[in-house]
Amino acid sequence: MPDWDEPTREDRDVYGSSWVTAPEDVDARRADEVVEEVLEEQTKPLGLWADTWRRLKRNRLALVGLGIIIVFIVIGTTEAVFYQMHWHVRASDEAVRSGAPGYLAPYDPNQVNYDLSPEGLGSPPSWQHPFGTDFLGRDILSRTLVATRVAMLVGIIAVAIALTLGLILGPISGYYGGVVDSIIMRAADIFFAFPYILFVLLIMSVLGQGFQNVFIAIGVLGWATFARVVRGQILSVKSMEYVEAARAQGATDMRIIFRHVLPNSMAPVYVAVAMAIGGAIATEAALSYLGIGIQPPNSSWGLMISDAVNYLAGGNWWWLLFPSIALVTTVFGFISFGNGLRDATDPKLKE
Amino acid sequence: MAERLLTVKGLSTHFFTHAGVVKAVNGVSFTLDRGETIGIVGESGSGKTVAAMSLMRLIPDPPGKVVEGSLMLRDRDLRTISDAEMRHVRGNDIAMIFQDPMTSLNPVMKVGKQIAEAIMLHQDKGKAEAWQMAADLLARVGIPDADKRVDQYPFEFSGGMRQRAMIAMAISCNPDVLIADEPTTALDVTIQAQIIDVVREMQAQYDSGVILITHDLGVIAEMSDKVMVMYGGRTVEYGPVDEIFYNPHHPYTWGLLASLPRLDETEKSRLTPIKGQPPNLITLPPGCPFTPRCPYRRAQCRDIWPKLEVVGPEHGVHCWIPVGERVAIRAGLPHFKEPAV
Amino acid sequence: MIAYIIRRLLQLVIVLFGVTLITFGMLKLVPGDPAVALAGKGASPEKIASVRHERGLDRPFYVQYYKYVERLLHGDLGESLYSSRPVGEMIREAAPVTIQLAVAAVLIELLGIPLGVYSALRQYTFWDTALTTGALILWGIPVFVLGYFAMYIFGLKLDWLPIGGVGPTVLGIIPSTPASWSTLVLPALTLGLIEVAYISYMQRASMLEVSRSDFIRTARAKGLTERKVVWGHGFKNAVIPVMTIAGIDLGVLIGGAIITETVFNRPGIGLMIYQAINSRDTAVIAGGVLFATFFFVFANLLVDLGYAWVDPRVRLED
Repeated sequence: MPDWDEPTREDRDVYGSSWVTAPEDVDARRADEVVEEVLEEQTKPLGLWADTWRRLKRNRLALVGLGIIIVFIVIGTTEAVFYQMHWHVRASDEAVRSGAPGYLAPYDPNQVNYDLSPEGLGSPPSWQHPFGTDFLGRDILSRTLVATRVAMLVGIIAVAIALTLGLILGPISGYYGGVVDSIIMRAADIFFAFPYILFVLLIMSVLGQGFQNVFIAIGVLGWATFARVVRGQILSVKSMEYVEAARAQGATDMRIIFRHVLPNSMAPVYVAVAMAIGGAIATEAALSYLGIGIQPPNSSWGLMISDAVNYLAGGNWWWLLFPSIALVTTVFGFISFGNGLRDATDPKLKE
Repeated sequence: MAERLLTVKGLSTHFFTHAGVVKAVNGVSFTLDRGETIGIVGESGSGKTVAAMSLMRLIPDPPGKVVEGSLMLRDRDLRTISDAEMRHVRGNDIAMIFQDPMTSLNPVMKVGKQIAEAIMLHQDKGKAEAWQMAADLLARVGIPDADKRVDQYPFEFSGGMRQRAMIAMAISCNPDVLIADEPTTALDVTIQAQIIDVVREMQAQYDSGVILITHDLGVIAEMSDKVMVMYGGRTVEYGPVDEIFYNPHHPYTWGLLASLPRLDETEKSRLTPIKGQPPNLITLPPGCPFTPRCPYRRAQCRDIWPKLEVVGPEHGVHCWIPVGERVAIRAGLPHFKEPAV
Repeated sequence: MIAYIIRRLLQLVIVLFGVTLITFGMLKLVPGDPAVALAGKGASPEKIASVRHERGLDRPFYVQYYKYVERLLHGDLGESLYSSRPVGEMIREAAPVTIQLAVAAVLIELLGIPLGVYSALRQYTFWDTALTTGALILWGIPVFVLGYFAMYIFGLKLDWLPIGGVGPTVLGIIPSTPASWSTLVLPALTLGLIEVAYISYMQRASMLEVSRSDFIRTARAKGLTERKVVWGHGFKNAVIPVMTIAGIDLGVLIGGAIITETVFNRPGIGLMIYQAINSRDTAVIAGGVLFATFFFVFANLLVDLGYAWVDPRVRLED
């Protein structure tokens, strides 16, 4: 008789009725994998996105990032929709002019002489102007809010351009391979060889400064990142069975790429998009700071910082502080969310 | 009687996660003597590896914890000794061979160093001597050109050779207990037999006790003295290898045996997979975890864990089906009309 | 290793070809006829034509490119349209200032490795959370923002450190006087901190990934102490990918150094490019960008060869 005792533990735990749905390949080889498999099994009916969201939810930094992104997008779009007509009315409205609470941006961002100190240096934060005013007496809060729209536009449009190029070149490179692949990837190597910000500077110095050129320069230079990510994903799923099956059924290459390969390989692309938007916003700020990005009288955080630093010795700290906070918070939001998304979708990092 | 090396009683290991408590091992008991081989068999997720990792105290904590039971290595309680003592046990008294030789060796460290490291740690040998011993060990597990190979990195080894190197590492300090966790699963079929031979030879040479974890009953039949069948973290049947193969009493064991190909049958032979899915370890019923998949389940199966029932020499089973009925059901199954395997 | 070096050098040649081609193309695309500019104000059409011919500006594109590369190989980067000084000479003067800052920042950057390891070993503790959050915030701060805040607080308000300029050096880049050192502190810390944040974040992630791998479990099963498991087995595996990342990130660092110079008024390549932007001096911009790119490409090559040497899988490959 083997000398082993009856388990002493009285297992009387509550059990559910849905306990027969674990995937076939549950493997207790590693303890954490047991945990993961069970978790995975629980989310199976919910699908990939619910699974990602559940993991993301536990990452506080990523949630903070997501919150920041949502807030800034709301600010950006709200202003885009409402500011022109409102300020148009308000500029002539004495009640609003005197600082009565109004829309998100309380003042016309380009209206000068709201409040100037005797030295003509703008005034520090007050109840009327919570972020203070600048050297022309413009309301910094309003300018910071309006600049949100510029930042979001640059981030989203520039990345959309880069993503489109990447989604064209990446699949071609990954799916067809061979000479085409070599040419595209060597071109990407060349683009990566430039220190990024300098390459943008070079392009801007040729295109000339201006709003659209910022989109173009940042967007066109970003293709290589997306092409690489998409290509890598395509290579990793290309030989999988469902792609083989689609091919065997006579599906065209285009159909295979866009119906079967891309949808199954987008997670790292979403991560790259989040990071790239943060990067594009920072790049726009740097260009505007250097004087070749957004031009006055348009408002941009980089431009405001650039204006502010000329008066830094005069002690106008608020002028530097508020646009900087807006810029840093936004970029942090995208990077933090992007990192969280990567951790939540990376199969290697599960648990 | 041979020296008793291990006595495990009522071992329970749980993982405390945000999704709930994963009850990976629930009240498992077994013993191991010198020179003996115990096979732990069960499908993936049955808790066999977690049980072995609990012995090594290698369960990541948090989230894992051995919540109950006693683990005695001869007269030492592995649950209470200090971490420093436990490190001395690892590699020295209990060594382990892992499933995947491709990932279980450090890719940027020479194979020789990975073996010599353990020797220097446990046997108080100098570097040169340990290195020489590593080369000897590699030769002993059947690696040609061992003197040259000892200076190479894992990526220069084939899968089978890496597993041999893993075995060399495991036996380097002459451990009393050798845990082989699915040692052949990741390898080609032709290599599998060789690796089993190496493990057997090493066991004979060092007179170790071996815990062989596998889902492959063929490997069990070839190597084990006794078998523990696990399901859902519990032992469902336990006994000498012949008893398990020729007189199986638990419906899950029947299922395992029925899914084994038989050479003695002709075209009418058919593998019968066990229907259903492995259990969710978070929502295990208090009774028999096999209940939902068991075609012969009774009213009480799900709620009350059956007591151990002795059905043969050193052979026990946990099952609510009365023994007479059980034998009758088994006799009616196509697979058991003649002795299996 | 030899095969790897050859492959890497071939790649380098292609990259340098592409980089010079793009820079050359940019110079060609700039609006305005360079011959007109070179001939001077109010020059006659004959004069302009003769200048065009003299400079080879009427030759086919590929010939002009060939001549351009030939001139580059002789260190001739053209002339500043603004001051008429040779761009090569301007770069030779400015480069040590930039290299000094970049090297100082790299040295600070290396602190990210121990910080990242520390964070990973104490995952989910207070210090880990603090370091990770801090790293993510710093990582997203544009270098000029951090620079001006540092300047405002430590230079203007507290008056501890100079707000700009450079001092005398030995061996080209090592500051030789205390005052010279003090000019380096703020720019180097500004740039270095952002890089430390990035590297420590990457090192932490890499360390955590390695800590989950099978061979770490093997090392523990051998009975090694936690210290030997971490440093003997984990660290080397974790630091190899971080070295690769750091090599790629050198581009960001060099770009950051360029912008930092405009903040702290350091007369390096960055300030040179900044001033050239304001005076629309494309030859200087292109020269500066080309220099910085070459610097990056070669530094990256060294890093790659370095990690190839550390990683036996690359070193022993044939």
